[in-house]
Amino acid sequence: MTPSITITQAMIDSYAAISGDFNPVHVDPDFAAATPFGRTIAHGCIPLEPVFRLVQARLGLAVLPQGTGMKLRYLRPCHPGDTIGIVVKADGPEGIEFQCVNQRGEPVIEGAVRLVSGGIS
Amino acid sequence: MTHPMTTYAGAELGREVCRAQTLLTQTEIDRFCGLLGYDGAQYQGVAPTSMCLAFGLRLGWEAQVFPPGVIRVGDENTYGVPAQAGEVLVTKLVITDRFERKGRRFLTYQMDTTNPAGEQVCRVKFTAIIPEGAP
Repeated sequence: MTPSITITQAMIDSYAAISGDFNPVHVDPDFAAATPFGRTIAHGCIPLEPVFRLVQARLGLAVLPQGTGMKLRYLRPCHPGDTIGIVVKADGPEGIEFQCVNQRGEPVIEGAVRLVSGGIS
Repeated sequence: MTHPMTTYAGAELGREVCRAQTLLTQTEIDRFCGLLGYDGAQYQGVAPTSMCLAFGLRLGWEAQVFPPGVIRVGDENTYGVPAQAGEVLVTKLVITDRFERKGRRFLTYQMDTTNPAGEQVCRVKFTAIIPEGAP
């Protein structure tokens, strides 16, 4: 079973408090309503969480190994109520290529994790 | 008000814009773990790697570097040694690129966080769309 995360506005608000990122597109429904998104969107770091979980679980580590690289493209916004999972597109000892997808199967982030010394399986 | 060295026109690429020292506490780690569902027992004394993403955000927003409404479109991040509870972490912010595409303006921000030994904890480098109307 691959990791997933269900986003709530309370989670977004708490992430704003932790990160200091009170960008109104995340925390101000009135501001967000006037943007092309139409409503609040999650910080990009939140839908990225399944990637960390998957790689760390595969490695059997609590944290990523030193030197791990991550390249990301944010494709779609994630809103409260969305559930984000991960689809691995390519897999090897040097890392993975992945898409984070929402509950409709739409990719929201695509990217790659590169491990310096290998070790993922 | 946006930091004057960080407007689209005024950004000096490669020059340090700001830096901050932050004491990372176990309380903050616990809070992060609780929010995102990490097993707190595994993170006694050490922060989850993904928590590193928050360090640069905090600096950029507190120093008024990022304009409200800014939208992140891509990252190139590197993770170093784990951040430990009790460490004073130093994060520095630099703007590394500026470009326009299809009528939109983009800036690339790079935040480097180091621990008290000077070891890299993370480099978070992201490109964002500068909202219309922002300086």
